[in-house]
Amino acid sequence: MAIHAFLLDISRCIGCEACVAACATGNELPAGMQYIHLIEQTRGEFPNLSGSFKNHRCYHCTDAACVKVCPTGALYKEDGMTRLNREVCIGCAYCTDACPFDVPRIVDGRSSKCDACASATAAGGKPWCVQTCPSDALRYGERQEILAEAHRRVEALKTRYPKARVYGETEAGGLGVIMVLPDDPEVLDLPANPDVPLLVKTWQQVVQPAALSLTALSVAVTGVAAVIARRNHMQELKQLHAQQTKAAQEESQE
Amino acid sequence: MTTANPVMEKPNRERTEEEKLLRYRVGQRIVHAVLATSFLMLLFTGLMILWQPLTLWARDGTSGLIHRIGAVLFMLVPILYLIVDRRGAKELLVESFTYDKDDIAWFKHAGRYFLGRAVGMPPQGRLNAGQKLHHAGVVITSATVVFSGIFMWYAKGNLGASGLALAASIHDLSMLTLTVLLAGHLYFTFVYKALSAMTTGYVPKEEALIEHPKWVEEIEHQQAAHD
Repeated sequence: MAIHAFLLDISRCIGCEACVAACATGNELPAGMQYIHLIEQTRGEFPNLSGSFKNHRCYHCTDAACVKVCPTGALYKEDGMTRLNREVCIGCAYCTDACPFDVPRIVDGRSSKCDACASATAAGGKPWCVQTCPSDALRYGERQEILAEAHRRVEALKTRYPKARVYGETEAGGLGVIMVLPDDPEVLDLPANPDVPLLVKTWQQVVQPAALSLTALSVAVTGVAAVIARRNHMQELKQLHAQQTKAAQEESQE
Repeated sequence: MTTANPVMEKPNRERTEEEKLLRYRVGQRIVHAVLATSFLMLLFTGLMILWQPLTLWARDGTSGLIHRIGAVLFMLVPILYLIVDRRGAKELLVESFTYDKDDIAWFKHAGRYFLGRAVGMPPQGRLNAGQKLHHAGVVITSATVVFSGIFMWYAKGNLGASGLALAASIHDLSMLTLTVLLAGHLYFTFVYKALSAMTTGYVPKEEALIEHPKWVEEIEHQQAAHD
């Protein structure tokens, strides 16, 4: 299956919140649950102000920290997107802690985040937010095409925003939401390096396997050794009894 | 330091296979049972989110609830011990961190003890050096598993990626250590027929004389003084 991605052009977002409403309606989200948060950002000092809207949502990292730490497999990768099966989520909040973008939320005891409209896209449709965006700030398609479009838009933007850049091509293994940024990511409240921290990798790839294998090894070693050691101990008890009996007999003869 | 065995030194001693010594009082056995039960609850429910084949059983959330109940019980063990047997708790703590020359000598011969040869080991008191080390390990790693667990429980969702990884790594490694200690504990219980110490409270005097001669001597002195 082809790897898909969103295009999110921050320079085109007008903050209308149509994506927020379409997402909530299309996905029939209960009250209190929201997959997209629009955050107004203002930069500079009066009168030289500029602004944009941060479209805060799951960025569908290829090397997704949430998927790595999820203990039950409720979070998983499919079609380039990070899906969530709430039915098997236990609400441990590891994903909330691990996400470099601070996206997943625990709602009603289970994780909650955008799953890229899995049912709509599986039926050949587009995510609800993309369908409703009136300013072409959002698109959805094959990742290579989306990347090419992002680079085209950045080139066009550079005359007006010299620091314009594509974000998400390589970050965290490549994001499933390719962003067109008019400025540096830090300025737009995005992490410059959202890669999975070394401590998380060590925990997942070294500590957990080591804990399991050493536990199994200790059980196996003591299990086998117990049979040998018990036999040895029985033998030494037998020898001890024999020596004691002999000594007692010798003493009674004297 | 002497490695002589009191059983060998006293061939006249009447064979006392049926004779038993009180090893653990009722309160101590209750505390041990609570500790063992809560630890096993924590171990198995913890494994359910660590080992992929078991995660299926964690998905309905029941294991998480059992883990929390087990955690509360586990944390209550020191308090329970102080309530039901303050003297026993104090003795255990002090003895676990106090090692004499015989203990050091015992460690040098620990390999043969591991293989089931206790006769001729350096004389030991109520706890042999291995038991002391085991108990000290349990105290220390219980503290690290409790603190990392509390941290993960109460700061849930606010730890950050590195905070979560650090706390979870300490938690996992502490449980690994405790589980290895448990495997060793069960191993020696089986090899040296010590289960009765925690079921009835009594151990055969014959085994006690081999493994804990200084303790038997101490009891006999106390008994003589009492008589």
